[in-house]
Parts: sequence; structure tokens; C-alpha cells
Amino acid sequence: MRSNLRWLLLPALLLPLGWLLFVNIGADPRTIPSQIICRSLPAFSLTTLDGDTFTDADLAGRPAVINFWASWCGPCVAEHPVLLDVASVAGGSVQLVGVVYQDRPASAAGWLRRYGDGGWPDLVDDGNLALDFGVTGPPETYFVDADGIVRDRVVGPLTTQSMRDGLHEIGVDLS
Amino acid sequence: MLPTIGHAAIVVALALTLYAALAFWLGARRNDRAAVASGRAAMTGAFALTAIASVALMASLLTHDFSIAYVARNNATTTPPFYSVISLWAALEGSILFWALLLTGWSALLLHRYRDRHAELMPWVGLTLALGSAFFFAVMTWPGNPFERLTPVPGEGNGPNALLQNNPFMGLHPPLLYLGYTGMAIPFAFGMAALVTGRTGPEWLAIVRRWTVIPWIFLTAGIVAGAWWSYEVLGWGGYWAWDPVENAALLPWLTATAFIHSSMVAERRGGLRTWTMALVVFTYVLTLVGTFLTRSGVVASVHAFTASAIGPWFAVAILVALAGGLGLLLWRLPNLADRDVAPNAVSRESAFLLNNVLFLGLTFVVLFGTLLPMIVEGATGDRISVGAPYFNAINAPLFGALLFLMGIGPALPWGGASWRTIRDRFGGPLLLAVGAALVGVLLGMRGLPQLGTLFLAILVLGILGDELIRGARSRGRSRGETPPTAAWRLATRNRRRYGGYVVHAGICVMAIAVAVSATGASQASATLHIGESMKVGGYTLTLRDVVVEPLRDDPRVTETRAELDYRGSQSGALVTAQRDYPNSTTPIATPGVRTFATEDLYVTLLQADASGGTASLQVFRNPLVAWIWLGGFVVVVGAVFAVWPDRRRAVVVAPAPAREAPASVQVTGA
Repeated sequence: MRSNLRWLLLPALLLPLGWLLFVNIGADPRTIPSQIICRSLPAFSLTTLDGDTFTDADLAGRPAVINFWASWCGPCVAEHPVLLDVASVAGGSVQLVGVVYQDRPASAAGWLRRYGDGGWPDLVDDGNLALDFGVTGPPETYFVDADGIVRDRVVGPLTTQSMRDGLHEIGVDLS
Repeated sequence: MLPTIGHAAIVVALALTLYAALAFWLGARRNDRAAVASGRAAMTGAFALTAIASVALMASLLTHDFSIAYVARNNATTTPPFYSVISLWAALEGSILFWALLLTGWSALLLHRYRDRHAELMPWVGLTLALGSAFFFAVMTWPGNPFERLTPVPGEGNGPNALLQNNPFMGLHPPLLYLGYTGMAIPFAFGMAALVTGRTGPEWLAIVRRWTVIPWIFLTAGIVAGAWWSYEVLGWGGYWAWDPVENAALLPWLTATAFIHSSMVAERRGGLRTWTMALVVFTYVLTLVGTFLTRSGVVASVHAFTASAIGPWFAVAILVALAGGLGLLLWRLPNLADRDVAPNAVSRESAFLLNNVLFLGLTFVVLFGTLLPMIVEGATGDRISVGAPYFNAINAPLFGALLFLMGIGPALPWGGASWRTIRDRFGGPLLLAVGAALVGVLLGMRGLPQLGTLFLAILVLGILGDELIRGARSRGRSRGETPPTAAWRLATRNRRRYGGYVVHAGICVMAIAVAVSATGASQASATLHIGESMKVGGYTLTLRDVVVEPLRDDPRVTETRAELDYRGSQSGALVTAQRDYPNSTTPIATPGVRTFATEDLYVTLLQADASGGTASLQVFRNPLVAWIWLGGFVVVVGAVFAVWPDRRRAVVVAPAPAREAPASVQVTGA
């Protein structure tokens, strides 16, 4: 009896281990969980490229997409059409906000003239807002729901799919 | 040309290792010594070919041949030669080639050394090692080819991972660790051979103890060197973060250490034999799990290589090794039944048993903490991380208990101890330890962790010192030798025992240093203008200048440097910097560290503005950190002393005439 039962040990160890080894293969090792997900938007008051003042209160009651970018950032060019698309169809359902990350305002404004200005505010960050969000490098995008809670984060260039998923997290479904 | 040679060498090495496996199998089945010899030659050939492939890749890195994808990804024309050479093991495919080089090297060395001995075991040892090596060549032939070509050939490469080219220690830490990892294949191979042949008696244990301690030395040195690297490079002021990959190195170390101890019981008393065999299997499987964790993208870690296609290959290899090892073990379970040993509760056997329970507990705690994020992600898709507080809280008491056993275990007699023995052997050291704890309290130490560690470590050191003095005194009395001579001769005639004592002493030094540095550190952070000062832990630091300039030996790298003066119990100047590498989005910290006997002054630059003349600094005063490295060095020295071949055996292995020994010492056959 004992001599036969002992063989059960093999599948008992190997099956769970096999599941564990295979289930996560292909995941990206660099996606370290963000501290800010499920927390409130940090308070800020910054100047836009147009010279207006923009604060976290301006986002109250509306879902928002906050996109950190810079004129020196190549992938930001690649993702820009995704943002322009959303701006053109979203209407008032979602507020887009750009944050210029470690860049000169003049270069950023020139970049917008070249690649298309979607009309949403672009804030000039002194570095603190990026720190509060835990930005590792542009482009990086945060999705904030109507209650001001950060719900999702995309590191690297946005795709149509990751944009749609992020918007879905904050209750915006664009058809 | 070089890539073609390198790739061909790998493919031929794969064929050779497969041939070797077949030859060893036939040799074992038919008891054919010629087949075994041919398998051995094939393994040596595979090692030579791997060496050729490694040199080819190193040469391609040195000459910046960006037609090879690996070189283009991990090298640039401005990479200094030293970092070009060590890039062999700095990324995925190259590290597998390096791994195969070390594994075939160990295999060839071992098979050659034991070519005339253990004729029953060696073919199966060879078979296991050949299959283990063949796996790595197969990985390099299919999913992880280090010589994969790139078209069109880029004009400039990406350069090495910024973190890995920031400190020359990168040249030492991975090779040591890999030597330890790959060497653990040897005890596994002997274990498999013992199980297959049914020769599970003391024969294989005697060889394997030695061949576990040797890779254990490298693993230990590699782990300590890694902690040092983390301390000197990462700039967070600590040396151990319970990162999944640090844990991956610690896990086989824990099981190998448990094996070294339980094998003594198996060898001397015939107990714990199944358990000892299982530890050999687990140690090997855990080394594979370590490589899997770093190379498959399943964990988030500073050590993780890019997610790659070789994950499934390693997963299958882990399952095969575990199934094969445990399957054989279960099959031979009736042979492994322990000889009936019912030890006294207070005896060396029970100390060893408890030691193994504790090591198993530590292994489980670390394994659980490391795998939990994988389990959660697999089950729910969420990424969580298990932090240092979990590991520290659960492991600290286990380590404390181990520390206690470390002292009393070696001083307890086999079989059972009388009260008289206990009083004689532990009374003095106990008083000494109580005294040390009291001195600690007088010096201002508070809190159970530090005082407890100090008490235990002094107790252990006292017991070990007492053992040595007692033995030396009795030897000196009976042979008329002076105490130092007697102690040295006693130790060199019982290398295993006294080498083990030195290892234990080194661990005690590390334990005190870890406990004090973990709880007694002070830190502060501030933003200073040039000329301003800050105070931390008795030191006053003054910012002298902030400089931004390209690095001298790699001008693509911009260094932002804060130059400081510090005054306190020691005074001087130090520099702390951030380096901006073109292929890294975040600047790499280059902390300024001043090491003194009692404490380290450790300064990290968080942010600097050269035009405004300001620097944000984080400053740590870490007590006793240098003693961690020193303790690690003592551990390695003790272990080397323990496995150093004694004179009589050296004559057996190398039949050259002994230089100083008289003819009568040249006994053969031991």
C-alpha cells in the first residue's frame, strides 16, 4: 500500500509546479506594479504651454487621460496619432491632458506644431508631478476616473488597444 | 567568420554531449570501459568547443562586430574593453554560453579526476552531466543562439546594460555565482548514479560531500559578492533586498548547506539518507529555477533579462530534472531506509536534525515569498510583490535558532550527552556571552534582535574557541608541542571539522554585523547649495562643488558629480555621482562610500543642478558593514581549508614524488 501511494508524490509536486512555471511565461519582467494605481490623483497647479494655470480641480468630475511626453522622445511621435484620434471622437466624455516631461517649453510647442496639436492642455512640469505619479520615462500614460482615482497606467507608447483598455477602466467606452 | 566558427562549435558540442550520453549509457549497461573512456573524451571535446565559442563571442564583443545580434544589443563602439569582455555573461544568450562553458568544464574535470575510480558510479555520473550539458547546447542551437546574425548590420550598438557597466565588480560576481550554480550538477549526478546503481551507501556521500562544498564555496562567495555589488552600485544604502533573483541564489545555498550537514549524519550514523538524497535533487532543481526566474520574464527584478523564448525550455528542464530525480528516489526508497538510529534528545544527531528542519523552514519561507507573486499572477493576473518585511520578520528568528545550533551542534557528542559534558562544554562560553550582552547594554544597545544576535554569536564563538583550545591543549600535553603548533596540527589533521568551525565563526561575524547594521543605521536627506552643510550620525557633510562632464573612459556617458567634504570621527573628501547612459532612461547612481572599521559613510546623489549649484543627497551612516564582507571572506577561507586536499590524499591523486615528505608517507591506495 505504502509503496504504491508514494508515487502520488510525483504528480502532486509536478503538476502544480508545471502550472506555475508555464502560466506566467512571456510576461514582461519590467512591468513593476505602479504605486499610484487605485490612489487619488496628486494635487498640482501648473502652467500650460499657452500660459494658463491648470490644477487638479480642473479635472474634478470627469474621467481624464494624463500623458507624459517630451519633444526628445521618439516613441511619443509614434503614439501621438492615438491621442489625436481619441480627442477627435471623445467630445466632452474624457479630458486629455499632456504633461511635458523634462523638456523646454519652446521645443515642446515646436513639436506640437510639427505633429499636430489636438487642442488639449499641455502642462509644463517642474518634475514634481512626474515624481508623484512615479513616471519612469516618457511616454507614460495614466487613466483617472471621474472620482479622481488613478485606474490604469501604460508604460511606453500607447496603442489603439491599450488606449481602449485604459479608457474602459475609467468608464469611457468609445465606439 | 568568427560567428560561423562559434555557432558550429555549439552545434558540434551538442552532438558530442549527446554522443557522450549514449556512450556512457552503453558503457554502464555493458560494463564497457572503452565506451566510458570515449564518452569522457567527448565531454572534454565539448568543453574545448564551448571554450572556442566563448572566445569567439568575446572577440566579437571586443571588435564590436554588430553583425551579431547579441553584440549589437549589448555592446557599443565606445564600450571599454573590460566591459566588452565581461558582456559575455551580462545578457541572456551569452550567459547561457558561459553557463555551458562552466558546466562542461566542471564535468570534464570531474570525469578526468575519477577516471580510474568508482567504476560502477562514473558512467551514470557522466550520463547525467552529459544530458545536463546537452540541454544548454540545445537551447543555444534553437531559441537562444548567441551568434544569431543581424541584417542590416547597424553602425552602432546599443551598449551594455547601464547598471552592469557601472562597476568592475560585475566581472567577479556572476562568474562566482555561476561556478556555484553549475557545480551543483556534480552532487546531483552522483546522487542519480547512486540511485540507479543502488549503491546508496557511504561511497557516493564521501565523494559528494567534498564536491558539494567546492561549488558551495563559489556560491557563497558569489552571493556575498552580489550583496557587495548591490551595496556599491545601486545606491539605496542596503545590500540585500529579498529580490526574487537574490532569493534564487539563496535557495540552492540553503538546501546545499542543509545537505552538507545532513550528509554527515548519513555518513557517520546511517541516518537521514532519504532526506539527504532529496536535498541533492532539490539543490540542483533550485539552480535551474534560479536560471528560469531570470530568463523567462516571470518575475520583476533588476536581474531579469529580457523576456525570451527560452522560458518554456527551462520549465520543461526543471520538470524533467525533478521528475527524474524524485522518480529514482521513490523507486529506491526501500534501499534508503535509515539504519535504526534512535538518538538521545541531546546529541549531535538531533542538533543536525533540528538544523535541517530550520534550513527547510528557511527554504520554504524564501521559496513561498518568491513564488507567491507568480502564483497570484497566474491565478488572478495581478502583479504583487512580497517585500522585505515579510522575509525579515519570518526569517530572523529562524536564523537566530540556526546560530544557536551552530555553536552547540559541533560541541555535542554523537549518540548522547551527559549533564556533566554539557556543563563542562557550555558553562564558560555561556558566561562569556552573558557578559558580552551586558557590555552591549552598557554601550547602549537595545532591542532583542541586536542583543540576541550578539549573545548567540559570542556564545558560538566561545564554544568554537573552547573546542579548539581544549583539543590543542590535550594534543600539546600528549605530544609535547607548543600550543600554536598543536592547534595548527590538530586543525590540519581534521580539516573538515576545524574548517567547519572557521566557517561558523565567519557566519557569526556576519550575523553580528547584519543585526547591528540593519538596526543601528542612521540616515538623512537634504538639498544643499555649494558651501552648505548637513549633519548625519555624527558627521558634518559640506557640498564643495557640483560638476557635470563626460566620463573619461566612455565619453557617451555624462557624469553629474557632487564633491563633498566630511568631518566627524573620520574626515576627508568623497564624491557621489549620477551617470546618464544613452541607453538608460534613468540615471545610474554611483554612491560615494567610505568604509571604516566601525561604520560606513554612504552618500547617494538624488538630483543635482550644476548651474544652480545645488545637490540633493541621501546620506547613510551604516555601522559595521565592512564586517559583513570580512565575515564572508572568513567563511570562504574556512571552507577552502576544509576541502583542501590533505597530504596523504594529494599523493594518491597526483603520483608525483612529494617534495618534503619522507618516502614512507607515499602510501598509495586510501
